[in-house]
Amino acid sequence: MTGLALVLPPFFLLVFFILVPAAEAVLDTLRVERGGQIVYSLVRYAEMLRTVSLRRSVVFTILVTLASVGVTFALAYALALYLRFSKGWVSTLLGALFIIPLFIPTVIASFAMVTFLEHHGYVATLLHTIGVEDTPSLVFNATGIVLTEVWASIPFATLVLLAGLQGIDDALIDSARDVGAGALRTFLAVVLPLNTVATVITMSLLFIGILGSFTIPYLVGGNAPQMMSVVMTNYFTNYLRPDISVALAALSFVIAALAGAAYVGGVSHRERGAV
Amino acid sequence: MRNCFRIPKRTTAFLAVVVVSVLGLYGIPARGQMAGVTLYISGDTNIQEMFDKDLLPLFERETSVKTKMVFLEHGQGAESILAKIIAAKRTGQQTDVDLYETQPTFIAQGSSEGIWTRITKDNMANAAKVDPNRPEVLVSNGFGIPYRGSSVVLAYNSKYVKTPPRTYDEILAWIKQNPGKFTYCDPQTCGSGAAFLYVALYKYGKAEDFSGLTYDQARESAWEPALQLLRSLKSNIYNNGFYPNGNVAVLQLLGRENIYMAPVWSDQGMSYLDQGLLPKDIKLVQVSPPFTGGDSAIAIPVHAEHQASGLMFLNWLLTSKAQTIVVNKLAGYPGIDWKYMPKDVRDKFAGIAQNFSPLPNAKYQADAKRLWQEKVAGSGQ
Repeated sequence: MTGLALVLPPFFLLVFFILVPAAEAVLDTLRVERGGQIVYSLVRYAEMLRTVSLRRSVVFTILVTLASVGVTFALAYALALYLRFSKGWVSTLLGALFIIPLFIPTVIASFAMVTFLEHHGYVATLLHTIGVEDTPSLVFNATGIVLTEVWASIPFATLVLLAGLQGIDDALIDSARDVGAGALRTFLAVVLPLNTVATVITMSLLFIGILGSFTIPYLVGGNAPQMMSVVMTNYFTNYLRPDISVALAALSFVIAALAGAAYVGGVSHRERGAV
Repeated sequence: MRNCFRIPKRTTAFLAVVVVSVLGLYGIPARGQMAGVTLYISGDTNIQEMFDKDLLPLFERETSVKTKMVFLEHGQGAESILAKIIAAKRTGQQTDVDLYETQPTFIAQGSSEGIWTRITKDNMANAAKVDPNRPEVLVSNGFGIPYRGSSVVLAYNSKYVKTPPRTYDEILAWIKQNPGKFTYCDPQTCGSGAAFLYVALYKYGKAEDFSGLTYDQARESAWEPALQLLRSLKSNIYNNGFYPNGNVAVLQLLGRENIYMAPVWSDQGMSYLDQGLLPKDIKLVQVSPPFTGGDSAIAIPVHAEHQASGLMFLNWLLTSKAQTIVVNKLAGYPGIDWKYMPKDVRDKFAGIAQNFSPLPNAKYQADAKRLWQEKVAGSGQ
């Protein structure tokens, strides 16, 4: 009974402050007034998909998210491997340093990135001194968003992956080496499969987190196309069209759910395969 | 134990002395003084500073009427103040808001409730100096009196632009002849870019149709050619269609001579020139039809506790002396007609000392920004 009592408050919070309003909002996007009567229709979704700028924004959001997840994952995995298998002061130092972005507010990080990457910023100045005259635009576009998202996501991804790697018994790696497996073979045949759960968790949380992130695309992104979170905010507050905004939110929920389902399916499949 | 008791007692005595003296400081001078005036002012910190440091001390010195300012930074809470004024009216009470400075649209919202005093030259002499066709007056249903304004104007670099455009159409022609040397900021991030958009819309639909309080979405079909026009400019805009975020970003591009021409706010442009943040070659001019402008207006509740003092303050604020302070501090437009301003002030602002176009109402603004995003920036090439 005590257990149930402890669970009830968060349960009610979830139901009445998240699930019910969300369902109500989605239903609202379907209700349309026609000749004085409320009917259910998909016209808002049709309008949303007909609008070229919104279509482009959806595609843009997915591509930027995938690119950010990919780059973050690759860098974080390399870092986690190094921290797991290297001993020494460099490793200890890196272990302390990589965590720093986790403690820097996203707003500050975004502004820092803008100053760093902008037209006459640090990177451009540095490239200029070594003779590169025309620096490509690094900010207020997809490149800027990806770079900042990667910067901000690496600590989280590395922490989860590292936790997974630390769960792998040294004996397994040693025995793989004993039977003659090289570093790459050991990684592909032993480390990667044993770290599947951490990999899936990292990938899915990164995807959903970056898909829904607002501050970074708002501050570092360009005029168009924009990420869906920014577009939603604009439609909600600036354009006084909350209906389109909620329809977009529903679509982004579907995308996130699809991604989640794909990963969950992948995990259970692999686990069954392993058995 | 005894030792423990002594300290609280001393602390209590000390606190009592502090409380009594603080009460004395606040309480005693308040007695027996003539009615003060409570001003609700909204705006950015520069407005707050101007009232705190310049206007209010001068007014108090000249009239010996005490003032109290409630400052709403960036207009935060402006709507709840309006609700408070309306609530007091409905319950037949007086309101402590003797003077309310806010957006003209808020004043218009309260006008149907009969909460505002009609200000004419009969109850406030200097009302005669205010142009009744100013956007602030029209939009506020005649209840708002402007005391400061700013407008978007055209900034150009005279080193590179020898014959500046005089009309909006000449700007368009210049952009096409000088690709990459013009931009305007994303209209939803700044007023100067929005002004460039609105004047394009006004080219094909009359300004008066959109600046009033009525809203009819069907009228927006008139905007289509304007949006297509702006889209066709895209390849000639700086950096192949880059619209910076915010007014400041545009000023910086002008300052670095990355672009030679852009719409900017008159007050921001002036103060950047004064501070040396823009090269001296940058000139500001108003074109025809003028860019949009507008700012706050002042209204006085009919049920204000100290209505007479409120009117007295407003009358003082519209004297050429007070208006000169406002114009110089904010590098903006005076609330009274330019012809009532001293000659040296008129000369300093010669390029921009004209009227400006009214802003569309809030709903049309929202739609215009959305359509710009959908059909100009987000449309692809």
